[in-house]
Amino acid sequence: MLKSASSLPHKAKQGSLKNDYQGPLASGLNRRAFLKTSTAIALLAGLPACKPTQDVTKSNNNPAPSATTNKDIPASVFSDYQKKVLAQVQMQLLPDDGDGPSAQDINGVDYLEWAMTDQQNIQDGDPDFIRKGIGWLDDLAVQTKGEVFIQLDQTNQHNIIEKIAGSSAGENWLSLLMYYLTEALLLDPVYGGNPDQIGWNWLEHQAGFPRPTSETTYRDFE
Amino acid sequence: MKNQPTTTKDFDICIIGSGAGGGPIAYELAQAGYRVVVLEKGGWFDEADFKKDEMLSRRNIFRSKIADERHVLEEPDGEDWSSHNTSEFWGGNIVGGASNFMSGYFHRLKPEDFRLLSEFGAIEGANIVDWPITYNDLEPYYTKVEQLIGVSGKIVKHPHLEPRSTADYPFPPTAEHPVSAWFDKAANELGLHPLPMARAILSTPYNQRNSCEYSGYCGSYGCHSGAKGSSRAALLDHVKTKNNFQLMTQAKAYQINTDQKGNASSVDYYDNAGSSHRITAKVVTVACYAIESSRLLLSSTGAKHPDGIGNRYQQIGKNLHCCAGGTGHGIFDLTQLTSQQADALKVRGPFFNRALQDWYFIDDKPVFGKRVKGGTIDFVFDPPSPTADANSLKWDDNNNLLWGSAFKQRLKSHFTQSRDFKFEVFCDWLPTDNCHVSLDANEKDKWGSAVARVKVGFHPHDLKVAQYIVDQGVNVMKKMGAQKYYGNAFTSPTSNLIAGGLRFGKDPKTSALDPDCRVHGTDNIFVTDGSFMPNGGSITPTFTIYANAFRVADKIKAQLGKV
Repeated sequence: MLKSASSLPHKAKQGSLKNDYQGPLASGLNRRAFLKTSTAIALLAGLPACKPTQDVTKSNNNPAPSATTNKDIPASVFSDYQKKVLAQVQMQLLPDDGDGPSAQDINGVDYLEWAMTDQQNIQDGDPDFIRKGIGWLDDLAVQTKGEVFIQLDQTNQHNIIEKIAGSSAGENWLSLLMYYLTEALLLDPVYGGNPDQIGWNWLEHQAGFPRPTSETTYRDFE
Repeated sequence: MKNQPTTTKDFDICIIGSGAGGGPIAYELAQAGYRVVVLEKGGWFDEADFKKDEMLSRRNIFRSKIADERHVLEEPDGEDWSSHNTSEFWGGNIVGGASNFMSGYFHRLKPEDFRLLSEFGAIEGANIVDWPITYNDLEPYYTKVEQLIGVSGKIVKHPHLEPRSTADYPFPPTAEHPVSAWFDKAANELGLHPLPMARAILSTPYNQRNSCEYSGYCGSYGCHSGAKGSSRAALLDHVKTKNNFQLMTQAKAYQINTDQKGNASSVDYYDNAGSSHRITAKVVTVACYAIESSRLLLSSTGAKHPDGIGNRYQQIGKNLHCCAGGTGHGIFDLTQLTSQQADALKVRGPFFNRALQDWYFIDDKPVFGKRVKGGTIDFVFDPPSPTADANSLKWDDNNNLLWGSAFKQRLKSHFTQSRDFKFEVFCDWLPTDNCHVSLDANEKDKWGSAVARVKVGFHPHDLKVAQYIVDQGVNVMKKMGAQKYYGNAFTSPTSNLIAGGLRFGKDPKTSALDPDCRVHGTDNIFVTDGSFMPNGGSITPTFTIYANAFRVADKIKAQLGKV
């Protein structure tokens, strides 16, 4: 089997080809790049930054995916507010449209939170990037619609997502969330997404055997 | 790191690396009763560890991490060269090495591959040579590999069938995918010779190994049944309990020490805790994968080898080669097929197992001006990686992010209404002065040793040949009835299937090893991975690496004499 030596991990995760893309780690992603739409930039010029608190030491009231084996990782990566925002953004990205599972159906937020405890994802800067993006998303929602994202109706939320997808940094943020949604949809259920193989069943994917168990996940080899 | 050895042990032979190059030496010498030690940088994992879990490959679980060790890859960048660090060249940091994750397409080289220069003539800018051995020298060892490693297949007559000492493979073909018949029909109608592809996968149980379970997760997934002929499953598992055999895991060899005559006296390695140890041995065999074997020789300097072992004529690391070629696809729209045809395409488990070698030699003078060496096309279904596939589908044709219902519909269409049938073209990557291994001046691995700098220039002839054959593959896809068909030749390096760097030959001024794969200028250092190959042939090299290692094992036994 031919394998290329030229693969780029960040390309797979984010990889916007829009002109101003440098990647969040290389560029030190800023809110200006994220909000790069003509309307938003004009509005932002005179407004102070308004970001939700980034509290990473929150409660432990979410069911942990079965593969959580590292006892040193924090129980919760996102605040309750951040999780609400992420849940609603994810529902825009993978909606309940009557054909296939929605983000909620595949445990999108719980999976994302668990994935943010993966050392490689942490090294990639993903948890911080996702948290920052939530703040910038709310900035744009307030500036253009007058309310934070989760207070908007479906149509206005859709409009906001469309708007941020027009900038490279915004597109990268959404792309990263999509990256983890595809994992929640199609990885083995042992990792907390794809409950009862709902993603596999929808896409008629035939799993291999033997499958990993909670004692034999990839983290048990690390 | 502490680099004063804290212990010293003595063996008859020390083998560095346990993959397809090291396994046969270990097996043969241990069976013959010699005291054998294998130094393997990775851990010992087996069938029980190989779950069909996409995350194992997404996290490179059985491969080296870039934070620990890496390569500096130098590639053509327009008229210039650019370089970056990569971990893509690590094939398997594990007992058995990359053979755990091979697809096992086992084609033999052909007699002409051993005399590329005299058969096809020189090509300006390419360092083509004839091999110092012939196909007939290697044939008995191909036969041995077919039995011992376990090759399943069926011989059919075709214009480029290589001479054989046995009538057929020792194991019958693996179960065939129903679509194989479509391929045979299309190929025959085009006047081609469809070949059932031999696989290093057991179709029937053998030597305490199970036959294939046909889970459909082969290739880059480790084998759960033991059917895949990895060096570990087929060889090392069968000598591991012998008293005269020891395999040390997490043992990173970093220095081959040489005496005043220039011969190997010992090998130093780090254990998992970073402590240094020494092995003394009568013979040292290097089989760390092409790039790393060159690196170890280059970094092992001594009084007789001031520029690295065997590097008197600056041949160490030279004439490296990747695999030239390309890939192509036929996309079948299931909604355009009968339900019976669609069901046939959806089958997962049996292997497709078809190849074409009609263009192994190309006699198309209007295009090439003379008869030239061509290549092989293997037709395959890729092992499943649904998460990676889904993630790649989030970008539309204009490279904008797809999301919402549009993304879901694209996913559904891709997974449930189409099948991607792939072909891979394998051609020679001609050795040139622009493809070689050296030691990087700046980058160090976690043990403090200079990492390998890998320069991978290609010859324009490779691209021309590859494109010619890719076009033929696309025609086959079209004939099979694919709704979309396309292919691309490539010039970027492959991360696997790399060989050369220490090619063998009779002249120390133009080769690194002698015909027995002994490093020139030494009596007791052998190299038995793919480094020895002057050219890769137009196939995957693992079969030939196994065969040559068994050949060299006989040479080493003869040199060591009675146990």
